[in-house]
Amino acid sequence: MTVTTLNTERKLSERFHWIGRLLEGWSIYRKSLLGKIGLTLVVLFALMALCSPIPPWVSPMYQPMAGVDPDISYSVGPSTRHWLGTDFMGRDILSQLLAGARIAFMVGVSAAFMSVFLGTTIGMIAGYAGKFMDNLLMRLADMIMVMPALLVLLMLAALFGQLSIWFIVLFIALFRWPGVSRVIRAQTLSLKHRPFIEAARVAGASHLRIIFRHIMPNVLPLSFLYMTFQVTSAIIIEAALAFLGFGDPGTVSWGMMLQWVWKTGHMFRAPYWLLPPGICISLITLSFYMLGRAMDEVLDPRLRKEGETD
Amino acid sequence: MDHGKETILELEHIVKRYINKGSFFSTHGKDVIALNQVSIRVMRGEIFGLVGESGSGKTTAGRLIARLEEPEEGEIYLDGNEITALKGKALREFRRKVQMIFQDPYQSLNPQLSVFDAVSEPLIIHKIGNAEARKDSVWQAMRSVGLSPPDDFAHRYPHQLSGGQRQRVAIARAMILKPEFVVADEPTSMLDASISAQIFNILLEMREKFNVSFLFITHSLAAARYLCDRIAVIYRGNLVEMGPGDEVIENPKHPYTQALIDALPKFGYSGEVKRYQTLLRAEREASEYVGCPFFGRCKVARRPKCGSEKPPLKRLGGSHSVTCFYAEPGDKTGSGGKK
Amino acid sequence: MALLVVENLSVGYQTQKGYLHAVEGVSFSLGAGKSLGFVGESGCGKTTLGMALMRLLPSNGLIREGRILFDGEDLLQKTDEEMRQVRWQGIAMIFQAAMNALNPVHRVIDQIAEAILTHNPSRDKQEAYEQTRGLFQLVGLSEDRIRDYPHQYSGGMKQRAIIAMALACKPKLIIADEPTTALDVLVQDQILEETKSLQREFGISIIYISHDISIVADLCHDIAVMYAGQLVEYGATEEVFDSPMHPYTKALLSSYPTLIGEKSRLVPIPGETPNLIHLPPGCLFCDRCTEARVSCRSNPPVWLEITPTHKVLCHQCGKHCGE
Repeated sequence: MTVTTLNTERKLSERFHWIGRLLEGWSIYRKSLLGKIGLTLVVLFALMALCSPIPPWVSPMYQPMAGVDPDISYSVGPSTRHWLGTDFMGRDILSQLLAGARIAFMVGVSAAFMSVFLGTTIGMIAGYAGKFMDNLLMRLADMIMVMPALLVLLMLAALFGQLSIWFIVLFIALFRWPGVSRVIRAQTLSLKHRPFIEAARVAGASHLRIIFRHIMPNVLPLSFLYMTFQVTSAIIIEAALAFLGFGDPGTVSWGMMLQWVWKTGHMFRAPYWLLPPGICISLITLSFYMLGRAMDEVLDPRLRKEGETD
Repeated sequence: MDHGKETILELEHIVKRYINKGSFFSTHGKDVIALNQVSIRVMRGEIFGLVGESGSGKTTAGRLIARLEEPEEGEIYLDGNEITALKGKALREFRRKVQMIFQDPYQSLNPQLSVFDAVSEPLIIHKIGNAEARKDSVWQAMRSVGLSPPDDFAHRYPHQLSGGQRQRVAIARAMILKPEFVVADEPTSMLDASISAQIFNILLEMREKFNVSFLFITHSLAAARYLCDRIAVIYRGNLVEMGPGDEVIENPKHPYTQALIDALPKFGYSGEVKRYQTLLRAEREASEYVGCPFFGRCKVARRPKCGSEKPPLKRLGGSHSVTCFYAEPGDKTGSGGKK
Repeated sequence: MALLVVENLSVGYQTQKGYLHAVEGVSFSLGAGKSLGFVGESGCGKTTLGMALMRLLPSNGLIREGRILFDGEDLLQKTDEEMRQVRWQGIAMIFQAAMNALNPVHRVIDQIAEAILTHNPSRDKQEAYEQTRGLFQLVGLSEDRIRDYPHQYSGGMKQRAIIAMALACKPKLIIADEPTTALDVLVQDQILEETKSLQREFGISIIYISHDISIVADLCHDIAVMYAGQLVEYGATEEVFDSPMHPYTKALLSSYPTLIGEKSRLVPIPGETPNLIHLPPGCLFCDRCTEARVSCRSNPPVWLEITPTHKVLCHQCGKHCGE
């Protein structure tokens, strides 16, 4: 590296500390094979999601929901016009797959973000406040954890008819925050008695300031880590709901695709239709999991391989 | 030695108890008395040493003064005002005047805050000055602890600093509000000797420059001798001896202080023979609640008095006091006495 | 013939950033029944040296060169199996914070007896337990605490148990790395006294590693001062203390507050320890040395003999002590 790039890097790192940390974290991250594979796959899926508006733009027959090939109105295998073939109505499978990727990311990331946001805030408050507040919040978390999320969602769907996608996202978040909050609470408890927190108290910091200025930056890495795991469970829940017929009928998700395959009896007749969404669901959850595992190594110095210095 | 100076901090009959709620198998556990009727007075501009081994309660005393914990009994006065009951705004005002330096430099700085953030934090909390003024104060504070040039250090993070440098940041952070009183809880016990020496000298400079008073908590009598004007020795929550630093070390009157001096290595100065020999090799049966707290290990204790009564604080002339029945004033050869 | 002779030992660690020179060219000897103290601040290589003598370095550590002659045999030439024999029976080690190495779910007596049986499979359990009882008495632990668990022991008692374990197989040499740093002053003193008397009674040699020069001064016959992986001063304790020669030794001594004697201003050592990966060509201390000359920076220092029992690694000392 030349002197100039080193200097710029240094100056940038000084002004935006998180850039320096990011670069450092990246050099550790890229050593993990799992991390590299995971990241590649996630990027692939992200590209898929980004490309989803392309087919309908090319021709209206490639609309995932409403587009129908004028010449075909049943399911056929891959051809030059339809790279993955068509579904039972003659709609292009590839464009459905791409749209599904977009939904997966939307659902996955939004639900994960919400649940982690809730879980982190509640976890920090419970851990820091202790006593009554802690008990209250954690018992609430226990109650929610005990409930079977999928079943409750199914019941709600049965009661209210079909659920919209955003409702599903909200509910996934409401069911998933307790897991995050427990971990964040534990981390907060261990931080609470550290000398630097006591130093902040002695300096006169209010409780709120201690929580958000001193504790939060130290638990955020853990929150981010959990976000990746939450993405996987959110995607699976949505897929399961859609497969069982309770998804949002206006959206094309991979789970929805699987539902159509099954409902129309094409499960053993059209592997080109069955396999793509199934494989995508498995792969995307796997890739986020691998991402999370590699990030774990970055965030927890104890897990780093030997021979690496801090 | 203390006429003409005013009292800045006073502890009066402080009792700190840790209540053991017991476990599933017993209804009531044993309470631990961390501090038992401890009274101390520190003068303005003085460095007061509190010397004791682990479990002696010295750290607890510091934490009580910094209002990290509350005493069960007793009062603490800062500049004449009682502080243990302060709340809200008054407590915040108090926080500007009393600061603390912690023992572990590897844990007392927030790993997510840069040096600049850490040192300016107290200013932000108390809403002092604008960004410009704060930067000046931080720069000044960093220079005063030897973190020069400040530009080099301001944007570093704790993991990029050595133990000694971290402790300097902690000192800068404590001093930036220009407090009246600072509790230094074993600030050098985790540092190498040459780094400790730097820290000692910084503390002395702070005292010279700002006339700030220190409570220097330590397990090292030698460090206390170097740094402190007055020293108090504490054993298992009880004050056993207190007086001017040189006096306590050259003329210790309490058997525990004498045992501490015997035990410290002398760099080959005084040969193999121990001067006081007040320590029993094996502890004897002694009650925690009755009699002198040092009775169980005291070679020169005399029954029945030492085992059944608590010795009062006796003044031995000047400001040297001892809690021992048999310490004689003016006796230069230690409190030798036969059982 | 000395019990332990170390010649030109160099030890280092392979790290991401390169080879770290933890110990460079250290040579010393230790006679039977004598004690040698290694003194230096953190990062000087003394712990690495202790581990290297026992060949207990971590996987990225390597002994680059040198010889370790224990009882006439070079330990570096031994196989793993042979080293296992040497460890504990020839040389025993007390690690830093060893008292935390006691397994909390086993009784202390069981752990010590197990150590004995592991190295003497021919003994039977009864003998091992008898021997353990004897060791307890030896280190000053009372008989009625023998069936307790480690968490029921105080810090001093745990350390005594560790010493008992080290003595279990009657070693000729004990390497003790900061055995008393976590202990209170009074307990520390007692244990040091007991160590001295045990040493006299059994003629065990001791290598005592510490950052606290005052402890070493009281305990050891000879002292070796280490800085940045090198030995900088080596000799009889009295001589080194009465007339320290190396600027680092002098600086180190003047950074300790004393209990007796003149109360002089402590003079800290300015600067920082050198980078152990890219070693500078000349003397490693010259950046912080008050007596350095220009030549110190480019020429590595050589050993100067002040007396037959006092050597120093420095350019300047010859001129100052008028040899």
